[in-house]
Amino acid sequence: MTDPAAVLDAGDPPVEHRSRLRTTVETVLRNRLAVAGLIMLTVLVVVALFAPLIAPYGINEPDVANRLSGPSLDHVFGTDNIGRDVFSRVVIASRVSLQVGAISVGIAVALGVPIGLISGYYGGRIDSVLMRLMDILLSIPAIVLAIAILAALGPNIFNAMVAIGIVYTPIFARITRGSVLSLRDAVFVRAARSIGATDTRIIATHILPNVIAPIIVQTSLSLAFAILAEAALSFLGLGVQPPDPAWGRMLSEGRGFFQQAPWMALFPGLAILFTVMSFNLVGDGLRDALDPQQRSLIESRGVAE
Amino acid sequence: MNNAVLSVRDLQITFGTRDGRASVVNGVSYDLAAGETLAIVGESGSGKSVSCMALMQLLATPPARVEGEAIFDGRNLLTLDEAGIRKVRGNQIAMIFQDPMTSLNPVRTIGHQLIEPIELHMGLKGKAARERAADLLDAVGIPSAADRLDDYPHQFSGGMRQRVCIAMGISCEPDILIADEATTALDVTTQAKIIDEIHALQSRLGMALVWITHDLGVVAGIADRVIVLYGGRIMEEAAVNELFEGRRHPYTRGLLESLPIPGRERPDKLNAIAGLPPDPLSMPPACPFAPRCPHAVERCSTERPELRHPVPGHAVACHFDPEELYD
Repeated sequence: MTDPAAVLDAGDPPVEHRSRLRTTVETVLRNRLAVAGLIMLTVLVVVALFAPLIAPYGINEPDVANRLSGPSLDHVFGTDNIGRDVFSRVVIASRVSLQVGAISVGIAVALGVPIGLISGYYGGRIDSVLMRLMDILLSIPAIVLAIAILAALGPNIFNAMVAIGIVYTPIFARITRGSVLSLRDAVFVRAARSIGATDTRIIATHILPNVIAPIIVQTSLSLAFAILAEAALSFLGLGVQPPDPAWGRMLSEGRGFFQQAPWMALFPGLAILFTVMSFNLVGDGLRDALDPQQRSLIESRGVAE
Repeated sequence: MNNAVLSVRDLQITFGTRDGRASVVNGVSYDLAAGETLAIVGESGSGKSVSCMALMQLLATPPARVEGEAIFDGRNLLTLDEAGIRKVRGNQIAMIFQDPMTSLNPVRTIGHQLIEPIELHMGLKGKAARERAADLLDAVGIPSAADRLDDYPHQFSGGMRQRVCIAMGISCEPDILIADEATTALDVTTQAKIIDEIHALQSRLGMALVWITHDLGVVAGIADRVIVLYGGRIMEEAAVNELFEGRRHPYTRGLLESLPIPGRERPDKLNAIAGLPPDPLSMPPACPFAPRCPHAVERCSTERPELRHPVPGHAVACHFDPEELYD
């Protein structure tokens, strides 16, 4: 004999054991644009990883006889004003772009997320001070701030990463803080406190996992921005220093020859477009999967405007 | 009482607000005996939850200000430092919250959350902690407990989640378990089962139970003793049978009369107590219930009735003898 009440109470519908990771991956894969972005990103990463094998010529190997020659079988993207192969330089430069993107966003996450967590969790004066600092950083146009930081630190690629990282820190701090604020008074946080958990433990094991979704989305979108920022800085001569190739540098070098040899600027420009687009598509897909509320918010704002 | 595990004396809690200080608890004193079940009853805003949260220093100070004493294990809980109170929380005094849907972290498995207090207070790690967690789930009546440790809260029903919360509450075999409206969010059959479950665990572990509720029906079924709070003051304190059958404070009487009685002519019409609970920003100076009390006289709004003991073990804060009022 079973207790009928027990049967009632045990009437938990059999739940599918699907992890959050799996559902996220499935949602992303159902989104065609996101899949396109993922494929583009994969191509990009493969190219960057095997760049020295793919590039047919050295980055500083002049073919003076064929300088400023258009795309041909020998030089698929043409050659520049001193006869270097544009394709090889674009391929090699993908490494520095991805590296700058990853490291600078890494810096922004490493600084911004803890600031947001502390600010949102403790509130009060700590919050005011940290957030006003972030506001100051945000109030300066990103590229101007990066130029200022580079002017102080000296122009090289390492400093460019630091500068871009600092510029994007407030974005992560604000996103994290906003999500933490809505959780600070959640019952499960109070419950965690009621079992004797320390603040550090509550932040690390209860709050952080709940705010990770918007951070992931922002990371992927920020990678695109960071790569653009690096291109802009290199264009201005503040990032990668010659003779190393960078897409931004190549744009600026090609500028003077745009009428005679448009391929010099065109192909690095397309590379930037390709990269930024792939990160944006993946980022949008992730946002649809992880953070649908934020998406509808943004979309409704778009309609209202 | 000498066998009290917890002695609360003159507990006062105020909150600083933009419009001034709100006094939410105004001088509450009681003793909790080991193994006893004490029900704290009152309507919303009567200070019942806040007074228990204060015991574990779970109120944010400021805006809250807590005064008085709560002696537990020879120490005043209200003045313990952060490290001290953390050792009490979950270990010696545990709490179950009202809404099982929100009191578990949605992105961590049940196992992780159950193991947390075990690791924190019992020093168990890894496999031992996991085994203990499975035993606990089993103890609160969750079938195939060991397999469910890796499930997330959304894979459990409301009643099941509350069982998980209870398992967390009892995981370190506390001396006192505070259940803050622990069954209010559940349907009636589940409620009855959960109450039975807690009752059984209580007698097995010998812990004292503080049951915060506004549901007098639950009180009748579970409590040994009842404290009726109103406007942050104790209106009446009595053994549960005394309260339901014996002398009553006009407020308690109003509460009991507002319950639906099956078989009464118009069960859809309830005798609500007229008026609203007092505003904590401007508490009536004397009896907080005077403005709503059908028996109030002038004295009630000028002079505060102290808790009197018309019979031993039964305290009433009223100027009148209940017998005078209800004959």
